[in-house]
Amino acid sequence: MSYSREEVKAITDKVIDMAKADAVEVEFSGGERAATRWANSSITANLIEHDQEVQITVRYGQKSATTETHQFDDASLKSAIEQAQELAKRKPDNPEMMPLVKPPQDYVPVEAALPSAVDFGPAERAMMVKKSIEICEKKGVLAAGYIPKLHWTSAVANSEGLFAYFRYAEASFILTCRTPDGTGSGWAGTTGIKNVSSIDAAALTDVASEKALRSQKPRAIEPGNYTVILEPRAAARYLSLAMPSFNARAAEEGRNFMAGKERGQTRLGEKVFGENVTIRSEIGHPVLRQTPVGQDGLAARPVTWVEKGVVRNLYYDRFWAQKQGKTPTATSPNMSLSMEGGTATVADMIKATRRGLLVTFMWYIRPVEMMTLLYTGMTRDGLFLIENGEIAGPVQNFRWNETPAVSFNNITMLGRPEPIHTGEAYDNPGTAMVPAMRIDDFTMTSISPAV
Amino acid sequence: MSRSRRDFLRSMTAGALALGAGQYLHLPGVAAAPLARRDPKFREWGSEAIKTARRLGCSYCDIRFTRNRNQAVVVRNGQLGSGGFQSYGGFGGGDGAIVETYGFGVRVLHGGVWGFASSPIVTPDEITRVVGRAADVAKASAVAKKFDVTLAPVPAYDDVWQTPIERDPFEVPLEEKIAMLAEVSLALKKNPGVLFGSAQAGFKHEWKFLATSEGSFIEQDLRYATCRCSATARHQGQVKTRTYSPSSASRGYEFVVNARLADHAERVAAEAVEHAMAKPVGSGLKDLVLLPSHLQLTIHEIIAHPTELDRVVGYEANYAGTSFITLKDVGRLKYGSPLFNVVADRTYPGAMATVGYDDDGVKSQKWQIVKDGILVGLQTNRETAHYMGETESRGCTFANHWRNFPFLRMPNVQLEPGPPGSPTLEQMIGSVKDGVLVDGTGSFSIDQQRYNGQFGGDAFWEIRNGKVTRMVTDFTYNAITTDFWANLEAVGPPEAWEHHGMDGDAKGQPVQSNWPSHGSSPCLVRRVMVGTAFA
Repeated sequence: MSYSREEVKAITDKVIDMAKADAVEVEFSGGERAATRWANSSITANLIEHDQEVQITVRYGQKSATTETHQFDDASLKSAIEQAQELAKRKPDNPEMMPLVKPPQDYVPVEAALPSAVDFGPAERAMMVKKSIEICEKKGVLAAGYIPKLHWTSAVANSEGLFAYFRYAEASFILTCRTPDGTGSGWAGTTGIKNVSSIDAAALTDVASEKALRSQKPRAIEPGNYTVILEPRAAARYLSLAMPSFNARAAEEGRNFMAGKERGQTRLGEKVFGENVTIRSEIGHPVLRQTPVGQDGLAARPVTWVEKGVVRNLYYDRFWAQKQGKTPTATSPNMSLSMEGGTATVADMIKATRRGLLVTFMWYIRPVEMMTLLYTGMTRDGLFLIENGEIAGPVQNFRWNETPAVSFNNITMLGRPEPIHTGEAYDNPGTAMVPAMRIDDFTMTSISPAV
Repeated sequence: MSRSRRDFLRSMTAGALALGAGQYLHLPGVAAAPLARRDPKFREWGSEAIKTARRLGCSYCDIRFTRNRNQAVVVRNGQLGSGGFQSYGGFGGGDGAIVETYGFGVRVLHGGVWGFASSPIVTPDEITRVVGRAADVAKASAVAKKFDVTLAPVPAYDDVWQTPIERDPFEVPLEEKIAMLAEVSLALKKNPGVLFGSAQAGFKHEWKFLATSEGSFIEQDLRYATCRCSATARHQGQVKTRTYSPSSASRGYEFVVNARLADHAERVAAEAVEHAMAKPVGSGLKDLVLLPSHLQLTIHEIIAHPTELDRVVGYEANYAGTSFITLKDVGRLKYGSPLFNVVADRTYPGAMATVGYDDDGVKSQKWQIVKDGILVGLQTNRETAHYMGETESRGCTFANHWRNFPFLRMPNVQLEPGPPGSPTLEQMIGSVKDGVLVDGTGSFSIDQQRYNGQFGGDAFWEIRNGKVTRMVTDFTYNAITTDFWANLEAVGPPEAWEHHGMDGDAKGQPVQSNWPSHGSSPCLVRRVMVGTAFA
């Protein structure tokens, strides 16, 4: 299901025309979410979901209310608008409500709906699964995997004449291989891919199945501080833990890691991470091809969050920016995220490590204490001990308790960035350019026999 | 209802009342007939969809029409939430908007493989198109199947089921909700040590009509409510939030009224400040006295999830994970001490996963998971029952939205109380030399097979020589599942049993949120490793 610019504009224009209010804002989203899922080397679910909605916000002075509808016939739109109008008049004033964003906005042009992803259908997905399963069978492992596909359109329009439209299509291939005796498990994947022909399912299947075979019968070793090599998926999850703390309001209100010593102060300009940590939002990145439409329809612009360990920018929403006399940050810290890397391969990192752990995947990461960015999580699907520059063998998984506030000062090697999802699941955009990382003194606190 | 710490510290007498047992309300003919009883088109369209699927060669088909309304109201420091406020569970964005969604999903079996498609355009032509699409998806998938989906038999039902409520939240004026929550948030803020006082309430209404090729036509009208209040305090750089929540329930607006948030505001604010000033608990083996408000999450993570049969047989290997339990463990595995008894129950009044029928059209039921410390049962649905040699489903299929594919989700999983005369909370505290009393939920993490969990909480008090001494901070414990429950030394009596409902539980690909309940009495667990997260 595809929504052209003209189709979407016709809907948003209609809503703006129908509404009787001081100001109107309409957010459209719609399209196809499809997925193929398999386990025990057999397809278990294959689906195509179609959804569409408009969120309608009407304003009267400082009062506003939002409703939404998934039906676009005139009666449904009228009903949703009238509900919003009635609700808004009954609500108290919102002192934080900002004026609508005005056009023109100069959006970075991004071509994100390539035919190979738009046309990636259930038959193509099933064939990709079949080929992957065939490799797994030859290697003697069981396959469980997921191919999500999104072909989605979003738009923001308002009664000031703003209209911002973005359409994208992307797919991922995510695979876990397990040995039939349940003692080995390996993961490999690639996410957020706009050019589906670049997904090499066979190569990824080789990686996951080899990890499963090599990770069989892991031995337990003592918890403690280890040098870890985080492969890109583990590194991406770990990087994501630092990003919410770039919220300026929370920092100035004294309730996140970027808060300064006194209330109202922040760590802007301070060197909080190591010299080799540079994190940016690169709007228009040629691989990520993510949305150029930022906060409330403002044009997103590239932002350097951290440069050589120094905090260069915090995210100011429009209200907080006005209150504090700052410029609003159109780009939120999770947009087109890109961490600068190095030239090392994971093999180079292993060779350069006397004793450490190769970490494939991190799982069930949750905050423990947010002021220090202390998090806990598990390793999963391939944890290997490194001794004297070589893989010494598989080891049982660890629970870790660690903070990027410490470990981003302990990065000793970086790989080349690659596209990989930063979130726990893979269903929404969240892919970033992330390098493999070697980090010293990473705190493993207990073991688990989980495979 | 949930009880407060103040209640038990002051009275040291009876526990909170358990919600009344008894039968769920089953209404074959209700006063205000639900939508599909008034409007025959859903039955006609459902029947046509099934006929179309049969013509296309499908061996099974169901169609589920769903209409949802959600509303969340969040008030912080007296001000209604808007953009920038945290979304509240699965209930909505917090600004009082009523969010509605309506559509249908079609699930078919063709050639032994599932196909699913859904749409928000609810018309006969679109239904025909979507049935065809679901069949096409199933046909395309057959190239990568190794086994056929096998469904346990189910009787055909023609029935209506409704959540009993006293007051419809969507009939309560927004102004009334805002006023009540504003009063609570400002009462919290009265304490000069509090940065933010926040009060929240949320409501859901789900109507669904399921037609299946087994001959069932099932209409359900389901209601949910939730609320909480919290205070955030900062002292010398330490920021802590203290929350009071009766959790969530399948109830109407009466749930929020009965929670009496305002009565808790002064205590919650004082405890937030006290927590921000508290000293670390330290690390080592300690005895834990765990309140039901806390145990809900421990039960969820290390009892409810590992006993899902789809996980046991590998369906979730790529995401949520498998289980430390194997099929051979049923009837054999020593899961905990002989005091440890667990039931799965989709019939408990007011619980979040209480319905008349699951999304396979299987009638709700109650069954034992753990008996006297031994694993005796698992959670099943029509697709998985055969893996454990059962010929009937336990009714655990669920989809959280018309858009989504239904699959195995946990029911209410409840830790049964000890027999009458079991140790009271006060007696448990009195028996502890070096321990911690834990209230509410906080940080939580668990491995993919559910062996190793780490849990925090909302508030913690040191217990020394049988007495609660002071609030402490930096608390987590490490639970190795079967060791943890093996050290379960006391389970409170029936009168101390509390219901707690959750509004979030992620599983599946694409991820869906489920909402089960996990009730218990207070428990005493000996010799648990505490504080390693901060050591």
